[in-house]
Amino acid sequence: MLFVLIVLPLMMAGLMFILPSKRARISLLVLTALFHLSCVVCFWKIAPQTQWHGFLSLDVLGLLILSIISVLFVVVSFYLIAYLKGEENRSTRFFIACLLVFLSAMTLVTVSRHLGLLWIAIEATTLFSAILINFHRTPRGIEATWKFLLICSVGIAMALLGTLFLAVAATNIKSLLLEDLLSNAPALIESWLKLSVIFLLIGYGTKMGLVPMHSWKPDTYGEAPGPVGALMSGALTSCAFLAILRVGQICHQADQMAFFQSITLLLGMLSLFVASVFILGQTDFKRMLGYSSIEHMGILVLGVGLGGAGFYGSLYHMLNNAFAKGLMFLVAGNLYRYYRNSKAHHIQGVLHSYPQTGILLLVGFLCVTGFPPFGTFFSELLILNAAVTGKHYIVAFLYVLFLGIIFIGMSKIVLKMAFGEPQDKPADDQYRESISMVVPLVILGLIGLLLGIFIPSYLSEVLQRASGFLGGQ
Amino acid sequence: MEAWLDMTLVLVVLLGLFMIGSNRLGAIIQIFGLQSVVLGTIPFLMYFSKIEIHIVIVSLVAMVLKGFLMPYFLFWAIRHVSIRREVSPLIGFGSTLFLSGFLIAGSFILSSRLIFPYPVMSDFIIPASFSTIMMGFLLLISRAKAITQVVGYLVMENGIFLFALLLLEKTPLLVEMGILLDVFVGALVMGIVVNHISDHFEHTDTSHLTVLRD
Repeated sequence: MLFVLIVLPLMMAGLMFILPSKRARISLLVLTALFHLSCVVCFWKIAPQTQWHGFLSLDVLGLLILSIISVLFVVVSFYLIAYLKGEENRSTRFFIACLLVFLSAMTLVTVSRHLGLLWIAIEATTLFSAILINFHRTPRGIEATWKFLLICSVGIAMALLGTLFLAVAATNIKSLLLEDLLSNAPALIESWLKLSVIFLLIGYGTKMGLVPMHSWKPDTYGEAPGPVGALMSGALTSCAFLAILRVGQICHQADQMAFFQSITLLLGMLSLFVASVFILGQTDFKRMLGYSSIEHMGILVLGVGLGGAGFYGSLYHMLNNAFAKGLMFLVAGNLYRYYRNSKAHHIQGVLHSYPQTGILLLVGFLCVTGFPPFGTFFSELLILNAAVTGKHYIVAFLYVLFLGIIFIGMSKIVLKMAFGEPQDKPADDQYRESISMVVPLVILGLIGLLLGIFIPSYLSEVLQRASGFLGGQ
Repeated sequence: MEAWLDMTLVLVVLLGLFMIGSNRLGAIIQIFGLQSVVLGTIPFLMYFSKIEIHIVIVSLVAMVLKGFLMPYFLFWAIRHVSIRREVSPLIGFGSTLFLSGFLIAGSFILSSRLIFPYPVMSDFIIPASFSTIMMGFLLLISRAKAITQVVGYLVMENGIFLFALLLLEKTPLLVEMGILLDVFVGALVMGIVVNHISDHFEHTDTSHLTVLRD
């Protein structure tokens, strides 16, 4: 079953080059996404079998991230129906094929149990997302793609070196399968393990966009088309986070958790700091979202670094962040469609000109900045709680301070965009708000809200079990 | 065999230095191809007495992909580029050569500190791999032309490949192939983007890609 889930999108991607009409291609995309989602829903009931000599298997951590990917992908593919209609001058053939390969690679990330295979899958996501960023072929887009490709490839190369170092550390185990590593973790050679942890954190941290390896993020998110940004900031970063969590799992079993946590704590605080400094002077809406993504990635690794309730908080925050960011980037996609720009001073009075998108902009803003009753509020609170109970008072203080600054910085931009005076007459009829470009956003907003007011018991159980992998309760 | 192995490893490092010292894009790509072919022979020398089919496959695939297909493709990417010289590198040629001398010395010191858990075929493998990685990185950060940066990344991957040869017996063939394939597709995508850069900007100087910043 797992194998089918990886290969089917690839086959559909191949079909894209044969299908004659745009309509057929888009409907095939939506069908594949729906099939993917229905399989993932089944996995919540019945765990799929291990396949391929233990290389592919799905644990609760993988299931959590696979669900994020699948839900986001379905929503984005519905959004693309209307979005691609407005992009007559660009070929959709290649774009949709790349989207499907991207889906397949992300699925492989969540189910791979071999660290080499995990690396291969993550590198594949980098390459295909690079093609997706470059959809509009503007000079700025090419520049962003180039920076993304080069920085991430070098980062991922570091992760490959880290994986090899881990293989050296596992000389006595003779395998890089996660099961073998976890059950024989005390046999790992400590010095090589530590070296590999550093390289793996740098490598996969680059992919996640942690400071100081973050410089590609605002550029890329600023130029990527809205739906691609939604997939990257929601699903792709979660994949990179999964890789870091796998490293954490190994460290936990090998009694090196303190070492691992000291690094993630530092990376998390640095990310929050840099995000709060740079978000203040932003003039571009999508670049601002890039910095906001750096902030949230910082919160995720900070939660892991604090430990205790922080693990649960971190995983919970990963869910919230994925849907909140997805919503924000789709709003950005709508705004780009209406205004052909993402500079904040060109986009004013959205509530007046495009009321539905305007309301969603405000909802997304509250959701991203962690306002109650959205889920982000509670997960950020949990991480604060972990900091206080762990007696990291300085960390707790700085955490609240940075979140406050980021809230002020974002509200300055977003509120002006939503409430300001429209500069000129609303655009002509060609770009009226269509229902198909609003409904997917409403769904994401509802998920973000639901995660805040009601967590189903099976979800919280999965979160508990997944945080147990790292040593949480 | 060990003498041959050491000589080949020295050759790999020297070719790396050669790439750092040359300023013609075509020459850099060709030397990269040569380095990859030389690297492909190393598994035969390392596992001379106990050669297995999976070692043969890995080295042959690596040789073909990196030694021939990738250089061919990189030449395709710059086929419209008229200026095929590194005119104004961010760090000059003399200083990068000087720096790479230090990097090679550094990798010897570094690898003498790292205790490898089992005896390796030659003491030279780990330092050669580290110096190749560092020289690739140096090439990547010190040159302005997009294509040289791609070659720098690929040289880094060559260094990592050299390190991976130590673990060749334990790595599943499939993973090894996947890594090679990924690197190849990476070069492909980078080549396409270089092509876009040269179409849209009429040059491939990445030092002009400075619109996006804060």
